[in-house]
Amino acid sequence: MTLSGFVIRNAFRNKRRALLSTLSVAASLFLLVTLQTFLRELTVPPEDVGASLRIAVRNKVSLGMPLPARQRPLIEKIPGIAAVTPFTYFGGRFRDEEFTRFAQFAVDPQVFTNVFVDAYCPPEQLAEWFKDRNSCIVGQDTLKRYGIKVGDKMRLTGTFYPVDLDLKIAGAYSGTPDDRSVFFHHKNLDEMLGGGQTVGTWWVRAASAEVAPQVISTLNATFANTAAEVRAETESAFQLGFVSMWGNVRLLIGSISSVVVFTLLLVAVSTMSMAIRERFRELAILKALGYRRRELFGFILAESFGLAMVGALLGAGGAYALFSSIDIQKLSGGMFVFFEVTPRLVAMAFTVAAALGIVAAIPPAIAVARTSVVDGLKTLD
Amino acid sequence: MALPLRYNIRNVLVRWRSTITTILGIALVVSVYVLMQAMAAGIEKSSANTGSPDNLLIIRRGSTAESSSIVSREQLRTLLYSPEIARTAADEPLVSADVLVLLNLPRRDGGGEANVLLRGVSPRGRDLRAQVVLVEGRWFDRGKREVVVSQRLAARFAGFGLNEEFRSGPATYRVVGHTDAGKSAFDSEVWMDADEARALFDREQYSSLLVRPKDAEAATNLIARLEKDKRLQLVAHVESAYYAKQTGTATPIKWLGNFLAIAMSVGAVFAAMNTMYAAVGARTREIGTLRVLGFRRRTVVLSFLLEGALLAGLGGALGCALSLFMNGYAVGTLNFATFSETVFEFRITPALMLQGLLFSIVVGILGTLLPALRASRLPVIAALKSL
Repeated sequence: MTLSGFVIRNAFRNKRRALLSTLSVAASLFLLVTLQTFLRELTVPPEDVGASLRIAVRNKVSLGMPLPARQRPLIEKIPGIAAVTPFTYFGGRFRDEEFTRFAQFAVDPQVFTNVFVDAYCPPEQLAEWFKDRNSCIVGQDTLKRYGIKVGDKMRLTGTFYPVDLDLKIAGAYSGTPDDRSVFFHHKNLDEMLGGGQTVGTWWVRAASAEVAPQVISTLNATFANTAAEVRAETESAFQLGFVSMWGNVRLLIGSISSVVVFTLLLVAVSTMSMAIRERFRELAILKALGYRRRELFGFILAESFGLAMVGALLGAGGAYALFSSIDIQKLSGGMFVFFEVTPRLVAMAFTVAAALGIVAAIPPAIAVARTSVVDGLKTLD
Repeated sequence: MALPLRYNIRNVLVRWRSTITTILGIALVVSVYVLMQAMAAGIEKSSANTGSPDNLLIIRRGSTAESSSIVSREQLRTLLYSPEIARTAADEPLVSADVLVLLNLPRRDGGGEANVLLRGVSPRGRDLRAQVVLVEGRWFDRGKREVVVSQRLAARFAGFGLNEEFRSGPATYRVVGHTDAGKSAFDSEVWMDADEARALFDREQYSSLLVRPKDAEAATNLIARLEKDKRLQLVAHVESAYYAKQTGTATPIKWLGNFLAIAMSVGAVFAAMNTMYAAVGARTREIGTLRVLGFRRRTVVLSFLLEGALLAGLGGALGCALSLFMNGYAVGTLNFATFSETVFEFRITPALMLQGLLFSIVVGILGTLLPALRASRLPVIAALKSL
């Protein structure tokens, strides 16, 4: 019998225990991966192609405060700016939904495509959108979800603004990380509100990555000490701004994750100790036959490590398989969009399992090493 | 005849090493479960606690929340002297026209920025919200860019200490008082004068009106009148009922809590099974002896189930005790309805602790059932012969 055969036979000689230990490791690692994926979903904004060049400009007070429309010509004059569009959150409700989980924005269509370069929409549909002031383009995912198509009408009930919109769907776009939003003519909104003096935010595309920092500081400086001071920042900084709003939730999930890992460790150590205690006599015989402590530790380590790895394979692999096969967006009612189990998270789960396998082998190995051959042979089960 | 409980207790004590790990494992599972539910309970409590049933909150028809509502000065003028509304001793109507502004402010610990809800309240607004009391400093004076902040927010944002200042947009504001709103939603707000806030934040219109009707009948009348009035486009809600509905933030937390409880308990059941199988294995001879003495199979099963429940119940009790340390601990997160920081407490209620305890006992019994059945099915003679 080879050494590895010996270890494998030992690991599975109490099949039930091997199965139960593996499953409890698997359940915990599944949980760990899910939690970390959840955390990632909350805290890591998706990156898209044009993001590094895109700059968001909002009112310095907060996103809730509008900006005066008269800022536009001043922004356009700033060197290094390729395009600027107004970008106003409409916050409408679609159909009779309590809470609509796709956003609608009023933009300037002609410039919009220059700022959000990664959104792809067929040219003839774009042309149609440009022409018709009462039309919009809609993300493919939203069209699919509601079973509506290009050419249909959609009615949005305003919750922020006291107006309702009746929009014709001129086109469908795709290619952004989150193809859900609706974009319509800012002029349409201005007319409905009878004003046109304010916009929600400006979105700007810098001509190149090199000039972007300069553009940001010029933007901030231009409106300093005016009635509407602005905060310009890159798209990723803007997105990260939402992350800190989650407050203690992040810390909480982090702590739960560590509790899970700790519990896991307890379980693994206790199982491994149980497995070894049963075999004390055998190990004493091996010792008597001349096996060294180091080698005995090797046996125990290999067994514990192996079981933990199988657990990781089941738990992390299961989480990966589950979350990449189900439609999380539909299941969670739009609360989660990606829920992507990244290779990094899987690697983390395996690292935890590896550490677990090693640590769990130590206490029983010490017990074995300490016991003399005679005492070991004397032990009953 | 049943086996004495002492038999089980001693058994649990004899295997103290695996007993401790099992108890600790279950304790951690239970405390995570209790804490998550306590968080949801805290959010719900803070919503349920807010506002008075005697007040009506009037917002724009079509708005889903007060923060997205608009009430014009004209609408205010139309309603201000309504006969349904109560008056003060000086014959002023008890109406507060409020304006809500989101402020993006840096956190005190340097951990980024978050939105805080600033409420501009009219002079009568304080009288209408008796649950908000001043605990330190004084109320704001109008026109001096003074604010009062809740003492819970004070710990979380930079410049919110008494007599400290913070900047928002082009202006600087001084904190002249700290308030306590009895764990209600007002504990997540900054207050200043409404008209001053409208001027500073360039708001022509108000966000909402809070009114005190003369009596219950007047309240019903006012609600019905606004319902019929197609010109005003306003809706009146009983203030406490309006806030009680704002529990949206609790839903994902409950969802997460339940998911965690299920996933963790699956792991815990497997671990408990492992321990109990080992216990059964180690006591094979003992079980044989019991059977020879005349104890019945079902007595043996019951005895093991009791032992499992005892073990898990101890873990559950420890878990509840551990979670108690967090009782009353204030945490903050994003409120979806207002898009601003909401502060609430972990509320560990006796009902939640009982739930946690029951939960642990269920885990214990589930984990013990199979091993117990196995113990009862051991053939007596073989069991006696085994080492």
